[in-house]
Amino acid sequence: MNDMSLTAETRAGARPVKFAVNNLNFYYGGARALKNITFDLETNRVTAFIGPSGCGKSTLLRVLNRIYELYPAQRAEGEVLLDGKSILDPSVDVNLLRARVGMVFQKPTPFPMTIHDNIAFGIRLYEKLPKSELDGRIESALRSAALWSEVKDKLNASGLSLSGGQQQRLCIARTVAIKPEVILFDEPCSALDPLSTAKIEELIDELKASYTIAVVTHNMQQAARVSQYTAFMYLGELVEFDVTEKMFMAPKKKQTQDYITGRFG
Amino acid sequence: MNKIYARRRRVDILVKFLCAGSAAFGLIWLGLILFTLLSNGLGGLRASVFTQMTPPPGAVEGGLANALAGSLIMTLIAVAIGAPLGMLAATYLAEYGKHEKLSAVIRFVNDILLSAPSIIIGLFIYGAVVVPMGGFSALAGSLALAVIAIPIVVRTTEDMLYLVPTPLREASAALGMPRSLVIRRILYRAARTGIITGVLLATARAAGETAPLLFTVLSNQFWSLDLTTAMANLPVTINNFVQSPYAYWKQLAWTGALIITLAVLGLNIGARVLGAERSKT
Repeated sequence: MNDMSLTAETRAGARPVKFAVNNLNFYYGGARALKNITFDLETNRVTAFIGPSGCGKSTLLRVLNRIYELYPAQRAEGEVLLDGKSILDPSVDVNLLRARVGMVFQKPTPFPMTIHDNIAFGIRLYEKLPKSELDGRIESALRSAALWSEVKDKLNASGLSLSGGQQQRLCIARTVAIKPEVILFDEPCSALDPLSTAKIEELIDELKASYTIAVVTHNMQQAARVSQYTAFMYLGELVEFDVTEKMFMAPKKKQTQDYITGRFG
Repeated sequence: MNKIYARRRRVDILVKFLCAGSAAFGLIWLGLILFTLLSNGLGGLRASVFTQMTPPPGAVEGGLANALAGSLIMTLIAVAIGAPLGMLAATYLAEYGKHEKLSAVIRFVNDILLSAPSIIIGLFIYGAVVVPMGGFSALAGSLALAVIAIPIVVRTTEDMLYLVPTPLREASAALGMPRSLVIRRILYRAARTGIITGVLLATARAAGETAPLLFTVLSNQFWSLDLTTAMANLPVTINNFVQSPYAYWKQLAWTGALIITLAVLGLNIGARVLGAERSKT
């Protein structure tokens, strides 16, 4: 599989590697869901993961912040390095890892509290700030999620009172507020209308200036629009990983070609 | 009209009629109970019921003040013990022990406890508390009521925690929150109205129980706030008075029954209203 992973040396102008995944296998109880996955995520780049339902792309994302550990029957084997250090090692504190690797989910998940508190909550987990500074951080988080102008007059309204698209941007703001290094998006637009989708896509493009981003998506156009790298997965294997343009213009593998031209999946 | 379809329509009407009839049948009895209580109890409902002590046999004045206070105290203690225990147990079942075999056993035992005859619970507390303590006490009564309340709180809290969507748990964990913080700050908040509803229902159930009190606190003719001795309480007082030959006692029993029914009804309605608000958000 190594021939498929573009390592930093093989590509001109490449950025440092943020996440390096080597020979990753994943099991749901006895069922093997990921098979010898190897790839790198480049710093300040968006990498999209595409493939039909059940191909393992979400599973893969859920390894990167070890969120799968909420479920005792799930386990990962292999090597996952964040800035060169293994994250699968039991001695790594998952909560500190998750502070560095944020995640945005398919369905918006605002906490049952005010818009202000939704973001303050995450910040307070790690920092004790005076009110003025906290409010500043909340504003900048909402600005970077392109939500500030819509909610600045109702910060004390419930997060649940927002529309679906706004809720999703609130979740992005909440993730951004705790200053992670990587943001994982697990089908962030699949519950949203086209306008909200366009906003989130723009946002992902802007966020890559400060974060390393991985996006799982069902939507190939979305992958083409937002990402610099694309990974195509099928039946738990990473079939092809390449620069997005190459992937969509001239895929090397027939399976990839079939999928992106809509012949299956 | 097509024969098959005509038949289906007749069955449809019949089923609708049976359902409506059954609902009405149930409601009639509730209506009759309320009507009987109101017509017999309302006449005796005056301020002195709440201010005067239970009268001695044959007296023609007196109230239920000591019984009302006793019921209130014991119910509150029971809920104060039962609600936190029940909530913590439910938290174990729904969050920490979800994948453990032990949880299935606990859940099963809790369901048995939920439907256990309350007189058995009274007998259990009699053996476990009253006999060792050497006599009836309000504390024993409160414990018996707590045992009634716990399984209800366990069941409702667990159900409410299950209703909190899994992505909310994952999103909380993804911010780097340790599990106990996710539970305390996010899940309890998301399930709050449902949990409160459960506690109110448990309170209503405990407030109306008679059998567990018969063997544990008995009753008391006088005003007493001492938890280590027998204490007056509404259900047992009603039970005693209604069996007596004295007209005034019988009147007081009806009034007491009315008060307790209205209180339980009020708690239940309160729980429903809270539940309805929850489903709106």
